[in-house]
Amino acid sequence: MRKVDIVGVGMTSFGKHQDKSFIELAVPPIVDALKEANMKPSQVEAGFCSYALAGRLFGAVTAGQTILWHAGINKVPVVNVENACTSGSTAFHLAWMGIALGQFDTAIVVGVEKMVVPNLGLISSGDTEIDTLEGLVTPASFAMRALCHMAEYGTTAEQLALVAVKNRRHASLNQLSQFRDPITVEDVLRSPMICDPLTRLSCCPNADGAAVVVLSAAGRSRRFTAKPVRVAASVLVTGSYENPIDLVPWETDYRACKKAYEIAGLGPNDLDVVECHDAFTISEILHYEAMLLCPTGEGGRLVETGATSLGGTIPVNPSGGLLSKGHPVGATGVAQLVEGVRQLRGEAGARQTEGARVFMAQCMGGDKDGDARSCTANILMNN
Amino acid sequence: MDEPVRDVFPGIFEDSKNPRLIGGHCPGCKRKFFPKPIVCPYCLGPVGATPLSREGVIYSFSIVRIKPPFGLPQPYPVGLVDLVEDGLRIITLLDPLKTEGLAIGKNVHLMVEPLGVDAGGQTCLRYYFTPV
Ligand SMILES: [Zn+2]
Repeated sequence: MRKVDIVGVGMTSFGKHQDKSFIELAVPPIVDALKEANMKPSQVEAGFCSYALAGRLFGAVTAGQTILWHAGINKVPVVNVENACTSGSTAFHLAWMGIALGQFDTAIVVGVEKMVVPNLGLISSGDTEIDTLEGLVTPASFAMRALCHMAEYGTTAEQLALVAVKNRRHASLNQLSQFRDPITVEDVLRSPMICDPLTRLSCCPNADGAAVVVLSAAGRSRRFTAKPVRVAASVLVTGSYENPIDLVPWETDYRACKKAYEIAGLGPNDLDVVECHDAFTISEILHYEAMLLCPTGEGGRLVETGATSLGGTIPVNPSGGLLSKGHPVGATGVAQLVEGVRQLRGEAGARQTEGARVFMAQCMGGDKDGDARSCTANILMNN
Repeated sequence: MDEPVRDVFPGIFEDSKNPRLIGGHCPGCKRKFFPKPIVCPYCLGPVGATPLSREGVIYSFSIVRIKPPFGLPQPYPVGLVDLVEDGLRIITLLDPLKTEGLAIGKNVHLMVEPLGVDAGGQTCLRYYFTPV
């Protein structure tokens, strides 16, 4: 396997982009990322475009070819990727794989979603699944995990709320975040109940947004940039769907992170900064544990210590996370990597983690039989 | 003449008076499934239909307070219920009239009644578990 570097990134702000179509939203960050990589469109040898909802919302089919053509990229292989909330990180994984295996030397990953539309409704695993027909909506499945975590480990509603408070504090330092005003534990607990014990401020908001990553075989990356960032591991796994399965600890999450550590030859103590899939406050706590940032059951107490705040021992979601930025499904997994690259290059401004060398992005998607449909773990590092 | 009310999902339960959920059973692996899979995912052999236990224990639950899907009442509870005899943990609607006093470990049993609509928007019979 060849080594692979990220040589350029770009992203829009996350929030409402009512003036732009789904296609229009995706093009400017491609131009930015190519410019950053000093790469001409004709030098891009493959494209991977992720979106999860545009088919349902706008009837989009194989939109990747249209989007990339607008940015001057044609003729080369283009793949459209849907893998629920990990659509973007899965597209990245495929681009990484193609370069690592020597199929091409450069590739572009474009994640995009436009979902601030009237009557979006609730995200679920699809109207034909019996679980959906029986009333399982995505926030309820995480609410059930939260209840189990509270019952088993004594995690409190205040500890859950602290995740949203911390991520909002981080977001105040990120101009690309949809919500940037500070909130308190009281605000989180008193916001309207969505699915007990998760309140509105415990759940990530919808957003429009697009994010882009440009990759190159490591041997060639310095032609494009003076600051390439190495992909130390890229992992994609699927749930086990064993029955019965416990909601906590989350085996699939642990399995993805463990595999990433093994491939990178690193461990949790090597990480300097992390982005994880905080679709709900409880999610971040579960992911701390799966990433081995703390023992199983200690996630609620970890956030309380401040260790995962900027300035702490292992800052998590310095971008503000999904809880502040919003969650444009197809873009989320790519945007996490954009944040990682900016942290590792020392370009994260007021939210910079000093001297960051190793970054992990954890992302999870979909719901099936009490497990995730997919989970990705990507580790990036400075050479 | 009125058409009979349809089941929320074809073949998912039997006998709405004394209802049982219909799962799958692989005679080779001696495993049960719910719902019944197309083939056994462990040995790829054929799976027979088998009625499951009416009695369960709440493993976890939540009360959904936002605008409900499929014409369900607002709010409604949903849970993961252990069918102890069958060794299965299933996702299911819980009794919408009994949102108070739900707890992990509570005993529940199966009911089937006209409740909400199916994927096609038609009134349907739906299963749920109610506290004993
Ligand atoms: Zn079998």
